[in-house]
Amino acid sequence: MTNSEFQAVVFAAGRGTRLPEVLGDAPKCLLPVGPYPLIWYPLNLLQQHNFSEVIVVVLEQERLEIQSALENTPLKLKLDYATIPSDSDFGTADSLRYIYDKIKSDFLVLSCDLVSNVNLYPLINKFREHDAALALLLFPSGFESDVVMPGPKSKHKPERDVIGIHAATQRLAFLSAASDCEETLNIQRHLLQNRGRLDVYSRLVDAHVYVLKKWVIDYLRRKENISTFKGEFLPHLIKKQHSKRPLKVVQDTTSEVGVITKNEDNVLHYVPHSILDQKITQTSLFNQSLSQNPYHGDVVRCYGIQAPKEAIGVRVNNTLSFLAINRKLASIWNELCGEKHPLISPGALVKSTQTKEIIAADNAKLSEKTSLNFSVFGPNCIINPKNIVANSLIMSNAIVEEGCNIDNCIIGHRAQVKSGSVLKNCIIGPNYVVEEGTHSQAAHLSNADQFMEIDIQ
Amino acid sequence: MAQFEKEIVQAVLIADNNVWNFKPLSDEGSTALLPLVNVKMLDYALIALNRSGVEEVFVYASLYLQDIRDHIKAGIATYASWSFKMTVHVIGGEGCRCFGDAMRDLDAKALIRGNFILLGADTVTNADLRPVLEQHKRQAKFDKGTAATLVFKECSNNVRLGNELLIAVDRRNDRLHYHQRLRTYQKESRYQIPLDVILGNSCVALHHKLLDPQIAIGSPSMLSLFSDNFDFQTRDDFVRGLLINEELLDSRIYVALLPAAQYAHKVNSWPAYQLVSRDIINRWAYPLVPEMGVYKLQQQYVFHKDNIYKSHEAQVSKVALHQNVVIQEGSHVDSGSVISDSVIGANCRIGKNCRLTNVFLMADVTVKDNCRLEHCVVGAGAIVNEECDVSAGCVLGAKSVLPAKTTLAKTLITSTPSTQRSEEDVAVELESIGPHAFIVSDLTTGDPEDSDGEDFLPQQPLTIPKMGDLLAPLDEISDCSDLSDDEDASRAVTPLPDDTNIFLDEVIDSLSRGFREKSNPDFLILEINSSRYAYNMSLKEVNFNVVKAVFGMQSIVEPANNNVLVAINAAFKQLGPVVSNYIKSEDAMLDCLKALEDVYEENPLVREKISQIVHYLYDKDFVSEDAIQAWFEQLDEEEHAHLRQSLAKLVAWLDQSSEEEDDDEDEEEDD
Repeated sequence: MTNSEFQAVVFAAGRGTRLPEVLGDAPKCLLPVGPYPLIWYPLNLLQQHNFSEVIVVVLEQERLEIQSALENTPLKLKLDYATIPSDSDFGTADSLRYIYDKIKSDFLVLSCDLVSNVNLYPLINKFREHDAALALLLFPSGFESDVVMPGPKSKHKPERDVIGIHAATQRLAFLSAASDCEETLNIQRHLLQNRGRLDVYSRLVDAHVYVLKKWVIDYLRRKENISTFKGEFLPHLIKKQHSKRPLKVVQDTTSEVGVITKNEDNVLHYVPHSILDQKITQTSLFNQSLSQNPYHGDVVRCYGIQAPKEAIGVRVNNTLSFLAINRKLASIWNELCGEKHPLISPGALVKSTQTKEIIAADNAKLSEKTSLNFSVFGPNCIINPKNIVANSLIMSNAIVEEGCNIDNCIIGHRAQVKSGSVLKNCIIGPNYVVEEGTHSQAAHLSNADQFMEIDIQ
Repeated sequence: MAQFEKEIVQAVLIADNNVWNFKPLSDEGSTALLPLVNVKMLDYALIALNRSGVEEVFVYASLYLQDIRDHIKAGIATYASWSFKMTVHVIGGEGCRCFGDAMRDLDAKALIRGNFILLGADTVTNADLRPVLEQHKRQAKFDKGTAATLVFKECSNNVRLGNELLIAVDRRNDRLHYHQRLRTYQKESRYQIPLDVILGNSCVALHHKLLDPQIAIGSPSMLSLFSDNFDFQTRDDFVRGLLINEELLDSRIYVALLPAAQYAHKVNSWPAYQLVSRDIINRWAYPLVPEMGVYKLQQQYVFHKDNIYKSHEAQVSKVALHQNVVIQEGSHVDSGSVISDSVIGANCRIGKNCRLTNVFLMADVTVKDNCRLEHCVVGAGAIVNEECDVSAGCVLGAKSVLPAKTTLAKTLITSTPSTQRSEEDVAVELESIGPHAFIVSDLTTGDPEDSDGEDFLPQQPLTIPKMGDLLAPLDEISDCSDLSDDEDASRAVTPLPDDTNIFLDEVIDSLSRGFREKSNPDFLILEINSSRYAYNMSLKEVNFNVVKAVFGMQSIVEPANNNVLVAINAAFKQLGPVVSNYIKSEDAMLDCLKALEDVYEENPLVREKISQIVHYLYDKDFVSEDAIQAWFEQLDEEEHAHLRQSLAKLVAWLDQSSEEEDDDEDEEEDD
């Protein structure tokens, strides 16, 4: 235990249900984003913030794969893999409950699909300053707004959250999915009363970066019916901010004897709140209220911090954002990770002279006489001569034969594009073979049988 | 050329808009000329405009046009402080009945050439509106559909006087998206904001408890919008209409908030009158404070500590003046009186040993000895005789005379019986308490503007808000009391309608209709069967739900005279064939009784009469004796203790009768 104030947890047990087209048989957290798997980015972020140990929550069956993938990356973190049973249907809250024993202090929770260069210190400082129960990070949405989703045209409806934040204090007032609301948004009076302006945001994205108090997981452990963190527990906790300590309970909770078992359901039971704490809060200069009762007497406090506008933040949780981050990665690489990591792997064989903002992974063979722009080439992929590839993602072991024109496409693992094909806005599934001279636009070409085979494996 | 001409800043002042709250003084003269801390309200508004650099003002008056014209003329003649660098025109006519009419009239007269400041004559503000006007002009340059910029002020207290708002504003451009007046009486527990408003904008700021001082900057299009939409009566109609039809009318409203240091309030009722008086005396509206000579440029008062303003010409010897008192010239207070938080007009006479708290005396009022006045307004020239006790928001009309030893609370008094005009122009007999004192009932005088259907609290009795102790906020403590219960309640989701519930609902519908229309039971059976297949119900479920549906019909759930047995009898008479179609076998009967068990839990009327109902079903051969006994056997001793108890007698009786029957049979066999 070196960094004792905060522990960090990265969730990497997601199944990636929103990007089936590109996932293939690999775990979601190993999706290639530029030279590294997806999970490397949140881990790197933590490393930059001087974390030395991270708990990574993975599915049992995927553990070895993830472990070996991460060993190939220049990470110095000590990773503690917490496995959850592969056959279980755990939500994020269930997973947290499952690794309860490992959490010894206040902790950060990150999702494996976060690609960001945001500075977490303002978030953590807000958390410290106000002795908060929770602080979460919000990004402006719109990173992928200029990217066209390849594949057949479908109505892509991004999931949106409605987030209420008190302007003066940055306290979270509510957080709910827009789809959960009906025609009107109901706002309880106490959220508005005496708290000044309430800003309601509809285009912010929850970055899934949470700073949490230790007692929160104690409370979560008790609430066994809650299975997802974002969807259920978070709104629940935010609502609990305004619950008041019942008057009859003796204020002196420092005495262990006075613990009332019936009260265990109440969130306030979990909040360490001694007389001394109260005094500290009252006399602190950081309690943001000079004349009133600090924090309106709220014991549970949740904060929402917006990342600065120039910060990069994407959650790679659907195909569109996956393509978007890959396409833009070369241009934002320096801001994202600094120059330390080469974009074109030393093992890649790049003979092409006309390249612009491309990323090539180990052992990718990019032949001469090709024009390659804004694209990502996965490990062991082969691009033959006389090809034009733009705005595309060529995944591992894919082969593009001669004379093809590929624009805004995702070419899946081990897929093969035979010579003379012209593809625009297409998704080519894993192992699919595009026949010679195919002209295709906005299509999803995949081999259903292959999918079946993968499933059996 | 227009662009070389300097654009002059114009303003419109609407006088006497919605004055019902100022009864009975509103019947005796223009409320714009009502003195507020001894300065007429109109003067406050004019000064505010003058301070904001307005050069031309149109005062729009209706009923008391001549009075206002005279006042303006006198003001100009005596060099009132607003008359410098500002021309004031009084326009209007008797035909104008509401705010909307005034705006339409202004549009027809084509007096307004550009953007203008729109103010009520009852607004008191020290705000400089020039920056707001500039903001409006910038906005209008950017958005051609800018119709108005409304000016609001953050509310600092927890008092509700009907001027408080909840609005939703786009953070980027301050455009108004939602506008709701807060209730005066019963506080809302939650607010409902349309989701479109929030999803349509990336960030919407909700401002709760803003004061609406009735200040706005209007574009020329605002007037024509009133002309085009003749149903706009009030400013709120205009706002609402524009928000609903923003695309159709291609007009948008923007919002400007006054900085915290500036004061603005609307005096639209007696409590507001009290509040604003207090604020002026407490110098919140500086420089609009009594000793600054708001109207006349001369020193009228000497300002003492504890906010006591006393004229040199006033005689107050051996009088205890506590805090916040204004006494104008020529007034005479006798010894032994105690005055606090009050305004005393010119030439008042106050007798010995009077107690005045929160009292507002107009000019020439006489209060005789030993009176106690509290939270009341006394009109000009009124006389309160000895030993009166007037309190809790009383208003005495001008020249009324209160007989000695009168005790009044929450009453409005007028001097003549004829001043009250009812809507039908029928003279209403007023209760008299003296030759020059008649009680005005504030309930019978309907307000033509407030009583239309748009009012969002129609169930509230239309009473004139009365003065009272404003300092004690109504329910600051109770604000959070309702939280703990309703937070979990709001989480609880209503159970999703599963197939069984939908099926039950459909059967209830079918049966209710069949019962009402007395349709052929065969058709009903057909209907139920088709529902059954639609929702894939097993026979057991159908049996159960049909019986439940019969008891779920409206006529049984809420029977006439609470006589559930009669209702059940009627229902089974009509629907009996349907029920017996399903309830045939012993098992089905058991299902039927189980359904009854459910109904027993839900319906208290059935609970009372359960044994009679079971007996009735037995009588009519819907259920057999064996089924009842089998059912009774399996009822849980603890869970259904009460039900078992209710049925015990019946079952015992059934046992007995069956034994008898057995005996009978035996006997028969014997024979």
